[in-house]
Amino acid sequence: MLLQISEIIKLNFKLEWRKRQSVLSVLLYVLTTTYLGYLVFNNTITPETWNALFWIVLVFAAIQAAFRSFQNEADKRFLLYFTLVKPQALILGKIAYNFVYLFTIGLFTFLLFNFLLGDIVHNPWAFIVLLWVGCAGFAGILTFVAGISAKAGDNPALPAILSIPLLYPQVLALSKTSIRAVTGFSWSVNAPTLLILLMLALVSVLLSYMLFAYLWRD
Amino acid sequence: MKKHWWKALGVLLVFYTIIQGFLGGVPKMDILNESIRSLYFHVPMWFAMIILMGTSLVYSIKHLRDQTQESDMKAKEFALTGMVLATAGLITGMVWARFTWGAFWVNDPKLNGTAVTILIYMAYFVLRGSVDDEQKKGRLAAVYNIFAFVMMFVFIGILPRMTDSLHPGNGGNPGFGGYDLDSRMRAVFYPAIIGWTLVGVWITNLKVRYYKLLWKKEDVENNNSFGKE
Repeated sequence: MLLQISEIIKLNFKLEWRKRQSVLSVLLYVLTTTYLGYLVFNNTITPETWNALFWIVLVFAAIQAAFRSFQNEADKRFLLYFTLVKPQALILGKIAYNFVYLFTIGLFTFLLFNFLLGDIVHNPWAFIVLLWVGCAGFAGILTFVAGISAKAGDNPALPAILSIPLLYPQVLALSKTSIRAVTGFSWSVNAPTLLILLMLALVSVLLSYMLFAYLWRD
Repeated sequence: MKKHWWKALGVLLVFYTIIQGFLGGVPKMDILNESIRSLYFHVPMWFAMIILMGTSLVYSIKHLRDQTQESDMKAKEFALTGMVLATAGLITGMVWARFTWGAFWVNDPKLNGTAVTILIYMAYFVLRGSVDDEQKKGRLAAVYNIFAFVMMFVFIGILPRMTDSLHPGNGGNPGFGGYDLDSRMRAVFYPAIIGWTLVGVWITNLKVRYYKLLWKKEDVENNNSFGKE
């Protein structure tokens, strides 16, 4: 099982490397939206707005990124996987891969925000820890919903419609906590929230693990 | 009569809630005043909605096990009736909020919970609408329903406890809960929950029966045309 998972992760990185333009397109997406924010706010941005804008940009970039994870292979490669690995291994591998991918995008967004919209984060390490936990939860939910919408066919609005309401709890908790990382962070005060965020991520990964077998078979 | 007593009970209970809810005595409280009567409508509708959505979830799990058209249809219909009650609960709640908090919509964890519930179930219906194959539709919808229900539960069950809510009973606001829900109100509140749930089940039941008849009709027509050939 662990071997299968690591094989899936490796395979996904290889495929991604072969199609470099798709990673670049997501990074470019982040760059253009952030630059749009820079132009629109025109140096009048407050820490609260900075924080809110960051999560909004990240959520949309994450949706863009994660939804490609099943898109190209809905029919052909599914059949191949089907003969090779257990569905549970596939979903866990994909989640792990997406987690790394989303975290990279998150870091890129964070650096870009610091560069373009102002270096205002008081405690960047706390922010990055939150980003890490958030990306784990995002990966759990988005990978699974990507599987659903890939199976559901070509409705371009579907990924966003299906996943954004499911992300509300996390994004709300994340932005409420990360604003404290911007203004001044205390680990002991925010430990319960971090724990809840971790639990949320765990719940979404567990649910994907249990339900993916049903989604998978045709 | 033996089979249908619960429908009559549901209707009677709802009528009882409406009559007793408007005419019965209520405790005098600051801010809330007479708007406390909203407790008989807004809150029971929400409870009934959660019960119906829960039933929909049960049928979704059942559908993953047995893969029949019937369990999928029931899951969908229970969710649909739940949406009707959610909308009714939302409107009654908004009217109440207008007179107690001064605005129809305020940024409050529980209101956000409402919004997320409605959006999730709308997404559920959009998902159903965008798949043509019946088998696949049932399976995808069931899987999404289970995933969404758990997330919704987290949102309306856990997160509001983390922060103060404007809702009565939270964060020092005058509330319905615990000590100040007196026996007169209890006598209306609990029957109201049962009443709305029963009426909701009845509505769903009618549609389930309609679909079953429709399928039977299609079956008969198919058989007839098969016989002619």
